Amino acid sequence: MSPRTAPSLDDWRRALTRFVKVLPHCRELGLEVHDVTAQSICLRQPWHDDLLGDRMRGLVHGGVLTMLLDTACGSAVLRGLPAPEVCPTLDLRVDHYRPAVVGRDIFIEARVVRVTESVVFTEGSLWQVPEKPVARGIGNFARLGDRNTPHGLVEALFADEVLDA
Amino acid sequence: MREGFDDIHWLERTRAEGDVEAWLDEIPYARRLGVSARPDPDEAGLLFRLEPHQGNIGNILLPALHGGVVAAFMETAATLDLMMATRSPRLPRIVDFSIDYLRTARFEETFVRCRLLREGSRMANVQVTAWQEKETLPVATARLHFVLCTPAG
Repeated sequence: MSPRTAPSLDDWRRALTRFVKVLPHCRELGLEVHDVTAQSICLRQPWHDDLLGDRMRGLVHGGVLTMLLDTACGSAVLRGLPAPEVCPTLDLRVDHYRPAVVGRDIFIEARVVRVTESVVFTEGSLWQVPEKPVARGIGNFARLGDRNTPHGLVEALFADEVLDA
Repeated sequence: MREGFDDIHWLERTRAEGDVEAWLDEIPYARRLGVSARPDPDEAGLLFRLEPHQGNIGNILLPALHGGVVAAFMETAATLDLMMATRSPRLPRIVDFSIDYLRTARFEETFVRCRLLREGSRMANVQVTAWQEKETLPVATARLHFVLCTPAG
Protein backbone atom coordinates (compact mmCIF):
# COMPACT_ATOMS: atom_id res chain seq x y z
CA MET A 1 0.00 0.00 0.00
CA SER A 2 2.73 2.50 0.89
CA PRO A 3 5.46 3.79 -1.43
CA ARG A 4 8.62 1.70 -1.36
CA THR A 5 10.65 4.57 0.06
CA ALA A 6 9.40 7.25 2.46
CA PRO A 7 8.21 10.17 0.30
CA SER A 8 10.47 13.22 0.31
CA LEU A 9 9.14 16.76 0.72
CA ASP A 10 9.29 17.12 -3.07
CA ASP A 11 7.24 13.92 -3.43
CA TRP A 12 4.73 15.43 -1.03
CA ARG A 13 4.64 18.69 -2.96
CA ARG A 14 3.77 16.77 -6.13
CA ALA A 15 1.26 14.52 -4.33
CA LEU A 16 -0.56 17.48 -2.75
CA THR A 17 -0.51 19.34 -6.07
CA ARG A 18 -2.23 16.31 -7.55
CA PHE A 19 -4.71 16.35 -4.66
CA VAL A 20 -5.73 20.03 -5.01
CA LYS A 21 -5.89 19.74 -8.82
CA VAL A 22 -8.39 16.89 -8.49
CA LEU A 23 -10.83 19.17 -6.60
CA PRO A 24 -12.75 20.82 -9.47
CA HIS A 25 -13.56 23.97 -7.51
CA CYS A 26 -9.91 24.56 -6.59
CA ARG A 27 -8.51 23.57 -9.99
CA GLU A 28 -10.77 26.11 -11.71
CA LEU A 29 -9.60 28.87 -9.37
CA GLY A 30 -5.94 27.94 -9.97
CA LEU A 31 -5.03 26.96 -6.38
CA GLU A 32 -1.39 25.80 -6.07
CA VAL A 33 0.87 24.12 -3.53
CA HIS A 34 3.36 26.77 -2.41
CA ASP A 35 5.49 24.88 0.09
CA VAL A 36 5.66 21.68 2.10
CA THR A 37 7.76 21.35 5.22
CA ALA A 38 8.08 18.60 7.80
CA GLN A 39 5.52 20.36 10.01
CA SER A 40 3.14 22.18 7.69
CA ILE A 41 1.86 22.72 4.18
CA CYS A 42 1.30 26.06 2.46
CA LEU A 43 -1.03 26.71 -0.48
CA ARG A 44 -1.16 29.77 -2.72
CA GLN A 45 -4.36 31.10 -4.26
CA PRO A 46 -3.36 33.36 -7.17
CA TRP A 47 -5.55 36.43 -7.55
CA HIS A 48 -8.85 35.85 -9.42
CA ASP A 49 -11.59 38.48 -9.76
CA ASP A 50 -14.25 35.92 -8.78
CA LEU A 51 -12.83 35.82 -5.23
CA LEU A 52 -14.49 39.15 -4.47
CA GLY A 53 -17.35 39.43 -2.00
CA ASP A 54 -17.71 43.20 -2.37
CA ARG A 55 -16.92 44.41 -5.88
CA MET A 56 -17.06 48.13 -5.13
CA ARG A 57 -14.85 48.09 -2.08
CA GLY A 58 -12.54 45.38 -3.46
CA LEU A 59 -12.89 42.94 -0.54
CA VAL A 60 -12.47 39.17 -0.74
CA HIS A 61 -15.54 37.05 0.13
CA GLY A 62 -15.18 35.64 3.65
CA GLY A 63 -16.39 32.29 2.31
CA VAL A 64 -13.36 32.12 0.02
CA LEU A 65 -11.18 32.09 3.13
CA THR A 66 -13.28 29.29 4.68
CA MET A 67 -13.03 27.28 1.45
CA LEU A 68 -9.24 27.76 1.29
CA LEU A 69 -8.83 26.87 4.95
CA ASP A 70 -10.89 23.68 4.51
CA THR A 71 -8.75 22.72 1.51
CA ALA A 72 -5.45 23.49 3.25
CA CYS A 73 -6.37 21.70 6.50
CA GLY A 74 -7.58 18.72 4.44
CA SER A 75 -4.24 18.67 2.61
CA ALA A 76 -2.39 18.81 5.93
CA VAL A 77 -4.43 15.81 7.10
CA LEU A 78 -3.21 13.69 4.16
CA ARG A 79 0.34 14.74 4.98
CA GLY A 80 -0.06 14.16 8.72
CA LEU A 81 -1.39 10.59 8.73
CA PRO A 82 0.82 7.49 8.74
CA ALA A 83 -0.87 6.51 5.45
CA PRO A 84 -3.29 8.79 3.52
CA GLU A 85 -6.90 8.11 4.48
CA VAL A 86 -10.19 9.67 3.39
CA CYS A 87 -11.13 12.19 6.11
CA PRO A 88 -14.25 14.32 5.66
CA THR A 89 -14.39 17.65 7.52
CA LEU A 90 -16.29 17.29 10.78
CA ASP A 91 -16.33 20.99 11.66
CA LEU A 92 -14.49 24.20 10.94
CA ARG A 93 -14.17 27.51 12.80
CA VAL A 94 -12.79 30.69 11.23
CA ASP A 95 -11.88 34.02 12.90
CA HIS A 96 -11.66 37.01 10.57
CA TYR A 97 -8.95 39.46 11.69
CA ARG A 98 -8.97 41.90 8.77
CA PRO A 99 -10.46 41.82 5.26
CA ALA A 100 -8.46 40.27 2.43
CA VAL A 101 -8.24 42.75 -0.44
CA VAL A 102 -8.41 42.80 -4.23
CA GLY A 103 -5.40 41.98 -6.41
CA ARG A 104 -3.13 40.09 -4.03
CA ASP A 105 -2.44 36.35 -3.82
CA ILE A 106 -3.70 34.57 -0.69
CA PHE A 107 -1.42 32.18 1.20
CA ILE A 108 -2.82 29.45 3.46
CA GLU A 109 -0.66 27.53 5.89
CA ALA A 110 -2.04 24.51 7.73
CA ARG A 111 -0.74 21.88 10.11
CA VAL A 112 -1.91 18.84 11.99
CA VAL A 113 -1.98 19.43 15.73
CA ARG A 114 -2.99 15.97 16.91
CA VAL A 115 -4.06 12.63 15.45
CA THR A 116 -6.21 10.21 17.42
CA GLU A 117 -7.77 6.91 16.41
CA SER A 118 -10.88 8.62 15.07
CA VAL A 119 -10.12 12.34 14.62
CA VAL A 120 -7.42 14.58 13.11
CA PHE A 121 -7.17 18.06 14.70
CA THR A 122 -5.76 20.81 12.46
CA GLU A 123 -5.18 24.55 12.45
CA GLY A 124 -4.41 27.04 9.73
CA SER A 125 -3.89 30.70 8.98
CA LEU A 126 -4.26 32.92 5.92
CA TRP A 127 -2.42 36.05 4.85
CA GLN A 128 -1.72 38.25 1.86
CA VAL A 129 1.12 40.25 3.44
CA PRO A 130 3.51 38.36 5.76
CA GLU A 131 2.94 38.99 9.48
CA LYS A 132 -0.55 40.39 8.77
CA PRO A 133 -2.95 37.44 9.14
CA VAL A 134 -6.38 37.96 7.52
CA ALA A 135 -7.93 34.93 9.19
CA ARG A 136 -7.15 31.92 11.31
CA GLY A 137 -9.07 28.73 11.82
CA ILE A 138 -9.26 25.27 13.23
CA GLY A 139 -10.71 22.22 11.50
CA ASN A 140 -11.42 18.73 12.78
CA PHE A 141 -11.54 15.79 10.41
CA ALA A 142 -13.10 12.35 10.90
CA ARG A 143 -10.90 9.35 10.10
CA LEU A 144 -12.82 6.82 8.06
CA GLY A 145 -10.00 4.30 8.26
CA ASP A 146 -8.36 1.98 5.77
CA ARG A 147 -11.56 0.10 5.11
CA ASN A 148 -13.34 3.19 3.72
CA THR A 149 -10.38 4.60 1.83
CA PRO A 150 -10.58 3.88 -1.91
CA HIS A 151 -8.11 1.23 -2.95
CA GLY A 152 -5.18 2.84 -4.73
CA LEU A 153 -5.39 6.30 -3.11
CA VAL A 154 -1.74 6.22 -2.08
CA GLU A 155 -0.64 4.94 -5.49
CA ALA A 156 -2.73 7.63 -7.19
CA LEU A 157 -1.17 10.39 -5.07
CA PHE A 158 2.41 9.18 -5.49
CA ALA A 159 2.14 7.45 -8.89
CA ASP A 160 5.20 8.91 -10.65
CA GLU A 161 7.24 9.26 -7.50
CA VAL A 162 6.87 5.55 -6.71
CA LEU A 163 8.09 4.66 -10.20
CA ASP A 164 10.90 7.21 -9.97
CA ALA A 165 12.07 6.02 -6.55
CA MET B 1 -22.40 58.55 -5.85
CA ARG B 2 -21.32 55.12 -7.03
CA GLU B 3 -23.69 52.30 -6.17
CA GLY B 4 -22.56 49.58 -3.79
CA PHE B 5 -22.82 48.28 -0.24
CA ASP B 6 -21.15 51.34 1.27
CA ASP B 7 -23.69 53.74 -0.29
CA ILE B 8 -26.45 54.15 2.31
CA HIS B 9 -29.00 55.46 -0.20
CA TRP B 10 -28.45 52.55 -2.56
CA LEU B 11 -28.62 50.14 0.38
CA GLU B 12 -31.88 51.71 1.66
CA ARG B 13 -33.50 51.61 -1.76
CA THR B 14 -32.51 48.03 -2.69
CA ARG B 15 -33.53 46.85 0.77
CA ALA B 16 -36.95 48.53 0.57
CA GLU B 17 -37.48 46.88 -2.82
CA GLY B 18 -36.28 43.50 -1.55
CA ASP B 19 -33.81 43.52 -4.43
CA VAL B 20 -31.45 40.69 -3.37
CA GLU B 21 -30.42 40.31 -7.04
CA ALA B 22 -28.85 43.79 -6.94
CA TRP B 23 -26.87 42.69 -3.86
CA LEU B 24 -25.75 39.42 -5.49
CA ASP B 25 -24.48 41.47 -8.47
CA GLU B 26 -21.98 43.03 -6.07
CA ILE B 27 -20.73 39.60 -4.87
CA PRO B 28 -18.75 37.90 -7.68
CA TYR B 29 -17.91 34.77 -5.64
CA ALA B 30 -21.60 34.14 -4.84
CA ARG B 31 -22.41 34.54 -8.54
CA ARG B 32 -19.69 32.07 -9.43
CA LEU B 33 -21.12 29.52 -6.99
CA GLY B 34 -24.66 30.02 -8.31
CA VAL B 35 -26.40 31.45 -5.23
CA SER B 36 -29.96 32.79 -5.59
CA ALA B 37 -32.68 33.90 -3.16
CA ARG B 38 -36.46 34.22 -3.16
CA PRO B 39 -39.09 35.05 -0.56
CA ASP B 40 -39.53 32.03 1.70
CA PRO B 41 -42.83 30.31 0.79
CA ASP B 42 -43.17 28.79 4.27
CA GLU B 43 -42.21 31.62 6.61
CA ALA B 44 -41.03 35.22 6.78
CA GLY B 45 -37.59 35.93 5.34
CA LEU B 46 -35.63 34.45 2.46
CA LEU B 47 -35.03 30.98 1.10
CA PHE B 48 -31.59 30.60 -0.53
CA ARG B 49 -30.63 28.12 -3.22
CA LEU B 50 -27.27 26.88 -4.52
CA GLU B 51 -27.28 25.51 -8.05
CA PRO B 52 -25.44 22.22 -8.57
CA HIS B 53 -22.56 23.65 -10.67
CA GLN B 54 -19.79 21.26 -11.83
CA GLY B 55 -17.33 23.83 -10.53
CA ASN B 56 -18.64 23.45 -6.97
CA ILE B 57 -17.56 19.81 -6.70
CA GLY B 58 -14.87 18.94 -4.17
CA ASN B 59 -14.99 15.15 -4.34
CA ILE B 60 -15.29 13.70 -7.83
CA LEU B 61 -15.69 10.11 -6.66
CA LEU B 62 -18.98 10.49 -4.77
CA PRO B 63 -19.52 13.16 -6.28
CA ALA B 64 -19.96 15.72 -3.49
CA LEU B 65 -19.89 19.50 -3.21
CA HIS B 66 -16.72 21.09 -1.77
CA GLY B 67 -17.38 21.59 1.95
CA GLY B 68 -15.85 25.05 1.67
CA VAL B 69 -18.32 25.93 -1.08
CA VAL B 70 -21.23 24.92 1.16
CA ALA B 71 -19.70 27.11 3.89
CA ALA B 72 -19.34 30.08 1.51
CA PHE B 73 -22.96 29.63 0.40
CA MET B 74 -24.11 29.64 4.04
CA GLU B 75 -22.06 32.75 4.82
CA THR B 76 -23.49 34.56 1.79
CA ALA B 77 -27.02 33.63 2.86
CA ALA B 78 -26.42 34.73 6.46
CA THR B 79 -25.08 38.11 5.31
CA LEU B 80 -27.91 38.87 2.88
CA ASP B 81 -30.61 37.57 5.22
CA LEU B 82 -29.22 39.79 7.97
CA MET B 83 -29.14 42.85 5.70
CA MET B 84 -32.83 42.32 5.01
CA ALA B 85 -33.76 41.53 8.64
CA THR B 86 -32.09 44.30 10.69
CA ARG B 87 -34.24 47.10 12.16
CA SER B 88 -32.50 49.67 9.94
CA PRO B 89 -30.15 49.34 6.94
CA ARG B 90 -26.83 48.04 8.22
CA LEU B 91 -23.72 46.65 6.57
CA PRO B 92 -22.56 43.42 8.26
CA ARG B 93 -18.86 42.58 8.55
CA ILE B 94 -18.06 39.00 9.49
CA VAL B 95 -16.27 38.39 12.79
CA ASP B 96 -16.32 34.62 13.04
CA PHE B 97 -17.87 31.61 11.39
CA SER B 98 -18.36 28.06 12.63
CA ILE B 99 -19.80 25.15 10.65
CA ASP B 100 -20.70 21.54 11.51
CA TYR B 101 -20.83 19.11 8.61
CA LEU B 102 -23.62 16.63 9.28
CA ARG B 103 -24.00 14.74 5.99
CA THR B 104 -22.34 14.59 2.60
CA ALA B 105 -23.61 17.41 0.36
CA ARG B 106 -24.37 15.54 -2.86
CA PHE B 107 -24.12 17.02 -6.33
CA GLU B 108 -27.68 18.40 -6.34
CA GLU B 109 -29.46 21.64 -5.40
CA THR B 110 -28.93 22.85 -1.83
CA PHE B 111 -31.17 25.14 0.23
CA VAL B 112 -30.49 27.42 3.16
CA ARG B 113 -32.63 29.24 5.70
CA CYS B 114 -31.28 31.66 8.34
CA ARG B 115 -32.42 32.80 11.78
CA LEU B 116 -31.34 36.07 13.33
CA LEU B 117 -30.91 35.03 16.97
CA ARG B 118 -29.66 38.37 18.24
CA GLU B 119 -29.50 41.87 16.85
CA GLY B 120 -27.63 44.19 19.20
CA SER B 121 -26.63 47.75 18.47
CA ARG B 122 -23.19 46.61 17.24
CA MET B 123 -23.27 42.81 16.97
CA ALA B 124 -25.50 40.21 15.40
CA ASN B 125 -25.65 36.42 15.68
CA VAL B 126 -27.11 34.37 12.81
CA GLN B 127 -27.84 30.65 12.72
CA VAL B 128 -27.92 28.87 9.37
CA THR B 129 -29.22 25.47 8.25
CA ALA B 130 -28.48 23.85 4.88
CA TRP B 131 -30.29 20.86 3.42
CA GLN B 132 -30.84 19.04 0.14
CA GLU B 133 -33.79 16.73 -0.50
CA LYS B 134 -35.29 16.95 3.01
CA GLU B 135 -35.13 19.84 5.44
CA THR B 136 -35.29 17.34 8.32
CA LEU B 137 -31.95 15.90 7.13
CA PRO B 138 -29.61 18.94 7.19
CA VAL B 139 -26.22 18.61 5.47
CA ALA B 140 -24.71 21.37 7.62
CA THR B 141 -25.48 23.91 10.33
CA ALA B 142 -23.49 27.08 10.92
CA ARG B 143 -23.40 30.09 13.20
CA LEU B 144 -21.87 33.50 12.58
CA HIS B 145 -21.13 36.72 14.40
CA PHE B 146 -21.19 40.00 12.51
CA VAL B 147 -20.30 43.58 13.38
CA LEU B 148 -23.08 45.86 12.17
CA CYS B 149 -21.68 48.94 10.43
CA THR B 150 -23.56 52.00 9.26
CA PRO B 151 -22.56 52.93 5.72
CA ALA B 152 -21.61 56.50 4.86
CA GLY B 153 -24.31 58.77 3.42
